[in-house]
Amino acid sequence: MENLLVSLLNGVIYGLLLFMVSAGLTLIFGMMGVLNFAHASFYMLGAYFAYALQGSLGFWGALVASPILVGLVGVVVEKYFLRRVHHHGHAHELLLTFGLSFIIAELVKLFFGNFPVDYRIPASMDFALFRLGASNYPAYRILMGTVAVVMFVLVYLLLTRTRVGIVVRSAIYKPRMAEALGHNVPLVFMGVFGVGAALAGLAGAVAGAFYTTNPNMALELGVMVFVVVVVGGLGSMGGAMLASLLIGVMTSLSVGVDYSLADALAWVGAGDWAQGVGGLLTLKLSSVAATIPFALMLLVLMVRPSGLMGDKN
Amino acid sequence: MKSSTWFALALGVGLLVALPALTTPSLLNASIQMLIAALFACAFNVLCGQGGMLSFGHAAYFGVGTFATVHAMNAFNGAGLVPTPLMPLAGAAAGLLVGIFAGWFATKRTGTYFAMITLALAELLHALAPHLKGVFGGEAGISTMRMPAWGFTFGSSTEVYYLTLAWVLLSLGLLYLYTLTPVGRLTLGLRENTHRLRFLGYDVHRLNVTVFAISAMFAGVAGGLQALNTESANYVLLEGHVSAAVVLNSYIGGVSVFLGPALGASLMTFFGYAVSDLTRSWLLYQGILFVLVMMFMPTGLTGFFRWIRVNRKAHGLTALLPLLVAGVLAGALLSAGTVFTVEMLQRFFSQDYRSMAALHPGTGWAPIALFGRDWLPTSVSTWAVPLGLCAAGGALVYLVQRMWQALVERSEEMQAPSNAAAAAQGDAP
Repeated sequence: MENLLVSLLNGVIYGLLLFMVSAGLTLIFGMMGVLNFAHASFYMLGAYFAYALQGSLGFWGALVASPILVGLVGVVVEKYFLRRVHHHGHAHELLLTFGLSFIIAELVKLFFGNFPVDYRIPASMDFALFRLGASNYPAYRILMGTVAVVMFVLVYLLLTRTRVGIVVRSAIYKPRMAEALGHNVPLVFMGVFGVGAALAGLAGAVAGAFYTTNPNMALELGVMVFVVVVVGGLGSMGGAMLASLLIGVMTSLSVGVDYSLADALAWVGAGDWAQGVGGLLTLKLSSVAATIPFALMLLVLMVRPSGLMGDKN
Repeated sequence: MKSSTWFALALGVGLLVALPALTTPSLLNASIQMLIAALFACAFNVLCGQGGMLSFGHAAYFGVGTFATVHAMNAFNGAGLVPTPLMPLAGAAAGLLVGIFAGWFATKRTGTYFAMITLALAELLHALAPHLKGVFGGEAGISTMRMPAWGFTFGSSTEVYYLTLAWVLLSLGLLYLYTLTPVGRLTLGLRENTHRLRFLGYDVHRLNVTVFAISAMFAGVAGGLQALNTESANYVLLEGHVSAAVVLNSYIGGVSVFLGPALGASLMTFFGYAVSDLTRSWLLYQGILFVLVMMFMPTGLTGFFRWIRVNRKAHGLTALLPLLVAGVLAGALLSAGTVFTVEMLQRFFSQDYRSMAALHPGTGWAPIALFGRDWLPTSVSTWAVPLGLCAAGGALVYLVQRMWQALVERSEEMQAPSNAAAAAQGDAP
């Protein structure tokens, strides 16, 4: 029971982290129609900037400075790269961000080496917050979840309760009309792109210390984030939230499940046959936990191609 | 096709056939890699350039082809139904089957969704592969032997080269013929306007799956050739960087021309081979080149050649030549500056250099050997070199822009009086 609770909690926090990255991606997609392939690279940059800065600013200072830097990188990407190729169409923009993600990964390897760096949580945070049965629950995980939740509440309030939010939403809904009314829509786009990047950077700065910080982290998380947006429905914030939590909880729970398809078949009396066949049938669910989100994605594509909460297109 | 195109093709094929007599064995091995990469890129281009479906996971079909061929090689031992030279057929079959399955899912959606689904499908296979030891051989991979068949031993790289060349030429020929078939024309329709195709009564999803499967099949052939070449297969083949490389290569070559991706892939593979001993940052250069192409030359290298041809007709070679020379010089200066900066940084931030500096504290930063000279990383003169190179390159770029504008203006002026004269002549009688 405690195990279940712990993995459930872990899953929710991982899901919140996924949401922190996919929220920015969804926001940018909804606004500009650009799928930003480099978004997960911003997550990685966040972790590496925080790692590089923590020597001079301390852990908490780096946690604040790193997202700001990543946001600035995002602004540069939007202003000097994406805007230049906008007239070539969305596929072209996707390819450009793909190339940028490639360059960012290689630059990270150039400066920090092609191996995990020693970015870890500060000693002051390295304690158990509470006990769940026999296991201690690390305080840092709770901190990650809290940061994510606070971030969302702030972004949500900003979008729905302030004047800036109104302008942003109108620029997403009817960019030409908003421009005709005298709002600087390119500036809004740049700002949203920067904020989305900063959110991803914050997620990276927070999560990089807990998980590993290596040059592959962008690809690993990036694929997961893409799965999230396909499952949730591109452009839908609620869908992204639901899918993030779902995938977080599912991967976390499946790690603890020691059954295979053969065990399920044993229920109907075909267990021995399945053991004989081997291959996929005898693979333990725990060992293929990483593939579960992809299977979920294929399932969603079969029954509901527009995603859980996406519009029919 | 025009006779000049036929001539160029015959010349190219002749050169490829004569290649083993002209090069060293290691270059011949690189040529095999280039041919395989070229076929892979062309197969990818059926889907991407012609069908307008951007796939980020084509390594899956390449890798499946390799594994299927390795298994077939082990199963038939070069005899029986599928002798060694026909082995890539196994790759083709596997690519086709997996392509139909994956394509059915992926083509449920279009545009950016499609791109993400292909990426996720490839990652699914990559995540699953190490656990399926029987099929993918786990971490160690599986190996095989090229068995003698049809009187060939396939022991030397020359024989492997000719086998690869035959398969690549055959596949490229088939792919070209495919573009002439009705399905090939419909593929272009998929890229341009699916609504209209649907309106005309075509089953767009089935068409999408067909195009996807054909692309995957030829990717499988390329994978099969890879298996014949390396006699082994490892699940590393399914990794994302293989998919990334084919996207990069195809766009650098230019996806709007049939042989563009082949050109890009073989050029990039050759450069990758040539500089692999000299630099560790080849992928960075490749990425920078790709982004530059996407930003300033969206039609790729072949588009650039076409631009030259068109403008040679419009302005004449003598007017264009100084422009081209200055442009090439500017490019050389800028890339020299970039390469210097990257290599310097790479050496400065490398682990060896850092640990050396930690071993001898108090002596300051040791000089770095680069391009046959020692450079002090802390001195201004070191960094003035790339800065100077880039500044000179930038100035040249500015100059080229001015020259180009002048050329365009002059040709407009030339046209305007002649038009006026023509109009006057028309009025006269």
